[in-house]
Amino acid sequence: MIDIENVTFQYEDAVEPALRDVSLHIKKGEFLAVVGHNGSGKSTLARHLNALLLPTNGAVRVEGMNTKDEENTLPIRQKVGIVFQNPDNQIVTTVVEEDVAFGPENIGVPPEEIRKRVDNALLAVGMEEFAARAPHMLSGGQKQRIAIAGMIAMEPEVLVLDEATAMLDPKGRRDILSVVSKLHRKKGITVVMITQYMEEATAADRVAVMSGGRLILCGTPEEVFRETELLRQHRLDVPAMTELKERLNAAGAELPDTILTVEDMADAICRSLLKN
Amino acid sequence: MPIVVEKLKHSYMEGSSLAHDALRDIDLTVHDGEFLGLIGHTGSGKSTFVQHLNGLLQPTSGTVTVDGFNMADKKQRVQGRRLVGMVFQYPEYQLFEETVQRDVAYGVKNMGMGEKEALERADEAMALVGLDPVKFRDKSPFELSGGEKRRAALAGIIVMRPKYLVLDEPMAGLDPLGRHAILDTIDSLRETLGCAVVMVSHSMDDMADRAERIAVLAKGRLIRVGTTAEVFGDAKTLIDNGLDVPQVSRLALMLRERGVDVPSTIFDMDEMELALLRLLGKGGEKQ
Amino acid sequence: MKDITLGQYFPGNSSIHRLDPRTKLLGMIAYIVLVFIVDHIAVFLIPAVFVAAVTLLSGVPVSYLLKSLKPIRFLLVFMFILNLFMVKSGETLWAWRFLVITEGGVKQAVYISLRLILLLSGTSLMTLTTTPIALTDALEKLLHPLGRLGFPAHELAMMMTIALRFIPTLIEEADKIMKAQMARGADFESGNVFKRAKSMVPVLVPLFISAFRRADELAMAMESRCYHGGDGRTRMHVLRFQKADALAAAVFVLMTAGIILLQMFAV
Repeated sequence: MIDIENVTFQYEDAVEPALRDVSLHIKKGEFLAVVGHNGSGKSTLARHLNALLLPTNGAVRVEGMNTKDEENTLPIRQKVGIVFQNPDNQIVTTVVEEDVAFGPENIGVPPEEIRKRVDNALLAVGMEEFAARAPHMLSGGQKQRIAIAGMIAMEPEVLVLDEATAMLDPKGRRDILSVVSKLHRKKGITVVMITQYMEEATAADRVAVMSGGRLILCGTPEEVFRETELLRQHRLDVPAMTELKERLNAAGAELPDTILTVEDMADAICRSLLKN
Repeated sequence: MPIVVEKLKHSYMEGSSLAHDALRDIDLTVHDGEFLGLIGHTGSGKSTFVQHLNGLLQPTSGTVTVDGFNMADKKQRVQGRRLVGMVFQYPEYQLFEETVQRDVAYGVKNMGMGEKEALERADEAMALVGLDPVKFRDKSPFELSGGEKRRAALAGIIVMRPKYLVLDEPMAGLDPLGRHAILDTIDSLRETLGCAVVMVSHSMDDMADRAERIAVLAKGRLIRVGTTAEVFGDAKTLIDNGLDVPQVSRLALMLRERGVDVPSTIFDMDEMELALLRLLGKGGEKQ
Repeated sequence: MKDITLGQYFPGNSSIHRLDPRTKLLGMIAYIVLVFIVDHIAVFLIPAVFVAAVTLLSGVPVSYLLKSLKPIRFLLVFMFILNLFMVKSGETLWAWRFLVITEGGVKQAVYISLRLILLLSGTSLMTLTTTPIALTDALEKLLHPLGRLGFPAHELAMMMTIALRFIPTLIEEADKIMKAQMARGADFESGNVFKRAKSMVPVLVPLFISAFRRADELAMAMESRCYHGGDGRTRMHVLRFQKADALAAAVFVLMTAGIILLQMFAV
């Protein structure tokens, strides 16, 4: 779906590059989480996926279209939708449904078709009751769902969430995650989720870890979070249950290496107790 | 002397058809030097509540007294407000001066302190939050990184040497490194200044690590107040109210539901480790 | 601030609400011109009846409309008194030292007050029954022909939309920053004008910085959603004139004709 080939990127007037020789292949239909600290380059990477930023060296191709070709910009942005961190700063108009229509209007979709897409998109994020509301009266989580609907209305193939949950409360965060995983499962949309929360990453098919502008690890959540040493070296958090498992195993318990969530841990403990 | 909140009620749009109670029947005392956690989800009235603690909002009925100063009285409020440092959500958005040092000094200058002394106090406060005064003093606050900006804003409150430090989601939007740095700063502030901390946070794991007591707000009412173990020990009440609990508490609840005998009051990782090792028969092997 | 109804929208689904915003915008301009043409006490009845009829049809409560007059009450009194004493024409009705009230003065004072009241209630009715976004659309459509002459109709409408969208956000933000600075001992209430203006610096600087940051992020979000100016853009809501709009136009033609005729014969 998206090929990132040896991408290096340096912001103007920056001393050091924000991305260093990053290569990553994003598969069609997968759920990829990208984790790392602020300044690790993860947001910079996200902005390369829809040609908001262009690589200094290397190339990004979306279904074969090089982001450097200007004529590809609009088709790429239609295929790859991005939801940003601050819910307030991505809603353009004063009525929810008008805002969802903004994207399709920009790419010249006929009016009746826009109406259909807007209704479907609002339904997909569970915000259909709010179609005629003013966005500034909504909660942060609701605003982010509107932003996602605005992307869905463009019928994208990839949805990139650039720390879209960072400013939300736990309920807002859960809502966004469930909406996104539903879109992933039911519509087969490819999801790239940039996040600081390791617990969010445990739900992904694959996890990519960024540090200092480099991709330091990439694999299934089990593979990545097994590398606790490496993660700690880069001062990244390990999911709480993975840490607990490590401590228990260090003391002689024989729990499986694949524990990531509370459910995993409870299962493993019960199984282990039955054995004894 | 403590902060005493009695029978606090706060209504927005009093007298109109849109009137609604944001807070009702709140009785709560913040003791000297304690770490009180305040949890509840968005719209539960947390932000409205903390703004009463330093008199930015006035009760519709009931009273708030800070070390005996009644916050409803205009003169006493000025005195009381000096004791309560209030750090709002995303406090870095209040930075405005040309240099970090002058921004930090703003609060004490407003209290009438002379320029020279105020700048010295600013240096001190910067050191307390882990910003080296020599390095940061003359920088523009807008050149700092996200985490540094937040610490500079925190210094702008610390400089007033509050006896009570109220923090409204101090870690919101920061990455794990930034979160740890802020939490460590809060710890060291308590140690050096001995101030009480009232912290609003959604991050239950951070809360579990530090809070001595926890108060839970839901729909404008205080539904629980107790020690951290008491409140998280009753994980089900919190979950039923749509709140998160620390992962360790969730594990304890889940294990108990499956008939595994772990104490419900466990909320911290070390205790859970010991309890599980005992269960698995590995208790002795832990040094 | 709460009293200002001009520019506020009163939600509803009346025949007035449903009129094409272009009709309402053009109607308002015509109405303003008409109110200035009227120059006879009896003829004022026509726009007055018009405003009353539109109010009734729109379902906007009269109290709401009266509220829109509240902010100009001092202006009204001031204009009335000014005209009463300053205009000197016709018979003298009353005199005391240098204060003189003439027939022309009374007439002018009454007319100017009526005009102000009619103007404000008429324009308020328009904004009360039309969403700001619909007005923006109407403006864009009406100014579209000027686009060929290089007039940035689409850009203007976009700017208005974004401004409308962010005004409540920025007001909320200003309130937050003020509270944060008050917690640092700021005092916005005492002192003279200069001191108060100076005390606003710690609010305005962060507010501007935040507005620029928001603008930057919004621009990026808009680009991500394929925004590339007005070329090739379609709209979900297409403005179409209906029968009701023709009817409204007819009402305006009749009203204009009526006022001009009455003006000619009544004088």
